[in-house]
Amino acid sequence: MPLVYAFDHRHRRSPKDLKDILGGKGANLAEMASVLRLPVPPGFTITTEACREYLLSGWPASLDAEVDRHLADLERSAGRTLGDPVDPLLVSVRSGARFSMPGMMDTVLNLGLNDRSVSGLAAVSGDVAFAYNSYARLIATFAEIVHGADADAFGRVWADARIRAGVGPDAHLGPDAAAGLCARFAEVFEHENGTPFPQDPRLQLDRAIRAVFSSWGAPRATAYREHEHIDHGLGTAVNVQAMVFGNRDERSGTGVAFSRDPATGRDRPYGDFLVNAQGEDVVAGVRITEPLSAMAERFGSIHEELLAHMRTLEVHFRDMVDVEFTIEQDRLHLLQVRVGKRTGAAALRMAVDMTADPDIALSRAEAVGRVSADHLDQVLHPRLARVTARPRRTPTWCC
Amino acid sequence: MLLTRGLGASPGAAVGPVVFRAVDAIAAAERGRPAILVRHETDTEDVAGMMASVGVLTSRGGLVSHAAVVARGWGKPAVVGAEEIEIDGSAMRVGSTVVVEGEVISLDGATGEVFLGSSGLLEAELPPEFDTVLAWADEIRGRTLSVRANADTGADAEIARRMGAEGIGLCRTEHMFLRPDRLGVVRRMILAQDPDEEAQAIDELRRVQRSDFTEVLEAMDGAPVTVRLLDPPLHEFLPRPEAVGGSAAAEAHTAAESGSDGDGVVDRTTAALQQWTEVNPMLGIRGVRLAVLKPSLYAMQVGALLDAVADRTEVGGTPIVEVMIPLTVAPSEMVAARGWVDTAVGEVGFGVVPAVGTMIETPRAALLADEMAAVSDFFSFGTNDLTQMTFGFSRDDVEAVMVPAYLARGLLEADPFDTIDTVGVGALVADAVRKGRAVRPDLTVGVCGEHGGDPASISFFVEAGVDYVSCSPYRVPIARLAAAHAVLNGSGARGASV
Repeated sequence: MPLVYAFDHRHRRSPKDLKDILGGKGANLAEMASVLRLPVPPGFTITTEACREYLLSGWPASLDAEVDRHLADLERSAGRTLGDPVDPLLVSVRSGARFSMPGMMDTVLNLGLNDRSVSGLAAVSGDVAFAYNSYARLIATFAEIVHGADADAFGRVWADARIRAGVGPDAHLGPDAAAGLCARFAEVFEHENGTPFPQDPRLQLDRAIRAVFSSWGAPRATAYREHEHIDHGLGTAVNVQAMVFGNRDERSGTGVAFSRDPATGRDRPYGDFLVNAQGEDVVAGVRITEPLSAMAERFGSIHEELLAHMRTLEVHFRDMVDVEFTIEQDRLHLLQVRVGKRTGAAALRMAVDMTADPDIALSRAEAVGRVSADHLDQVLHPRLARVTARPRRTPTWCC
Repeated sequence: MLLTRGLGASPGAAVGPVVFRAVDAIAAAERGRPAILVRHETDTEDVAGMMASVGVLTSRGGLVSHAAVVARGWGKPAVVGAEEIEIDGSAMRVGSTVVVEGEVISLDGATGEVFLGSSGLLEAELPPEFDTVLAWADEIRGRTLSVRANADTGADAEIARRMGAEGIGLCRTEHMFLRPDRLGVVRRMILAQDPDEEAQAIDELRRVQRSDFTEVLEAMDGAPVTVRLLDPPLHEFLPRPEAVGGSAAAEAHTAAESGSDGDGVVDRTTAALQQWTEVNPMLGIRGVRLAVLKPSLYAMQVGALLDAVADRTEVGGTPIVEVMIPLTVAPSEMVAARGWVDTAVGEVGFGVVPAVGTMIETPRAALLADEMAAVSDFFSFGTNDLTQMTFGFSRDDVEAVMVPAYLARGLLEADPFDTIDTVGVGALVADAVRKGRAVRPDLTVGVCGEHGGDPASISFFVEAGVDYVSCSPYRVPIARLAAAHAVLNGSGARGASV
């Protein structure tokens, strides 16, 4: 059995049914890339089997060679090389278990940057500040995730740099300040970890994969699985994917969109969106997001393309989906799809509505199967006695 | 007073004192207190605190922020992105209002509103699709499993009916005794010094029980109502020993209305407490054992029930009652109990003898299921007690402290009080059903423990051939859905574990 599969690998079964080995995220990425041919940045998935073997008896013997081969394929299809000083490929390394564990496990972004390739990224993007901000992010997350360093050490340096540059928490540092920040981060890295930040991108990748495997056993992940009754023996897959940048310029952005409203179940896409930002900014709630309608104004045709893809996915999965997407310089990329979580009221409404949707044509039995005891529990929940008829405050999910 | 608004991220309402750190929410939960966790934004370090809190409030973040996603997944009420809130150590400020740790707020996870102070909680409003989906679930469920409710009052029975209950599987009579206006009469019966005094109190109780039963039968007209005769030990109706001589004695005195002096009541109460207080009440004089010592008690209850049946029939109702004997360990107890029922039927001059069945909640009754079935019209498994006694776990002492430790070390796969222990207690149930039906093929079998509302357990009970489960009124829709899921999955035992 291979331990690594490219996203566009032609599986004999529908990849979305291979969550046991590809994990939820990897299985659905493969579904989008190999079955639906949607715009997914190229990449590959290291299986849960590899993780289980790693956790039980150490790094699998064949894994290095398989990662090498898939990395070479990825570099070929992306037309860039990891660590290239002229035009570097950057990858994200993300966990992806069989069952969704939101925010429980680790992610490394911008992997492949080093002291040399950062200037390549600066030259290609024409944005020195962007390149160094990306590099700084890599050094800090690498320290935190791979070495377990204290995030505050970097946070303080970052805050210092912002104060000295006179920029707010949402703004990027200018070119010189960002380059200075990278130098300071490299010092902090070495001070915190007793070893310099690794310049070899292949070594970065190796360590990041190990870190994601290991994060399966982290206390917070273990606690989450206990609460959700998820088997501790499943392990996580690891997804290595070519990076696209929503924080490249004002013609870039990132967001999360649901094919239907996950709060009410109403058949209307809803989502949060940020111009010139990376995905973490949306999910972390650090910046105040804009509704999808704002995206329609700024990125008209891309907005339409996104809605069309979401409908394709909804019909294909025969369920409400949530999609993570990034726009890089006017090009739309889908980074993740999954069947979306929803409230009890929304689950009921969607189940009933989808029996009447001709493209989805859910059977009554399927509709009943879509509703869980927890969903019913939620609608049976009490509400506050003081009722107000006013609508919600400037709903950000209107579009 | 409306404090502020954010985004309604996870519906449901929460009322409780605010805390600003996850550890404080956990500490509150450990003391059994509610807490609302307030954070700028949450991250994975806050998850345990979110779990422990009754509601979550954040000042930043949208509907897909960490706090929103996690809370929604658990159905925990949450308001996010309430930007006016500024948190400073152990207080938060909204404009000029300062809310310090421990002050109570109320939040509405549907509308995003946050109120200062405690706001009452309203019953949930069901979306229109609720009934549609449950009607489909009922079609799928068919006759596989019937769902009844545990309800002790007319009001509960009405809610149960609205939730789709097809009867009452457990109508506890002790709650009728514990109402403030009844308690005095019950105490007088316990403290009675001669048969006349006892008979007088019993007569009075019969009158009040009659009206209680009438209310329940009216709400459940045309559907079976299984009445469990008195179960708890008598000392539960007496004042606490340390209260005797104080206000409780005065209360008992008032209740006694006997004109005797207060000291006499105090002395009698003390004596009764000595007589009835038990070292291990769970295994003490309760259920049918109580009736053996005070046979007039069960006769009175059956009499009251038959009076209520007569009342309902007279006004054109269709009351269907079943009499359930708790905590039996031997067929001979059932024979005796049937005798008390027959006596009561004879006294009332009733033509029809109601069905008389037994709870199966001691391992011995389960092991002797064939013999029990010979003298019982139905079985109802009281799986709470059956689990306690099969494991030898006192729920009160074990569940909070020991079960979590067992779960963490993998010594148990699930809390057996939440999900039926399929290989132990569950096997006992399945065997008893088989044995009982071998003797009496038409034996009706129900489950009336809390497992009756647990989806994984329901799945197991379907497999075991149980006819109905009975659960609290608001669990009834969940049981209907779970039974449909069990049918759709084609197998019962899948979800159950241990």
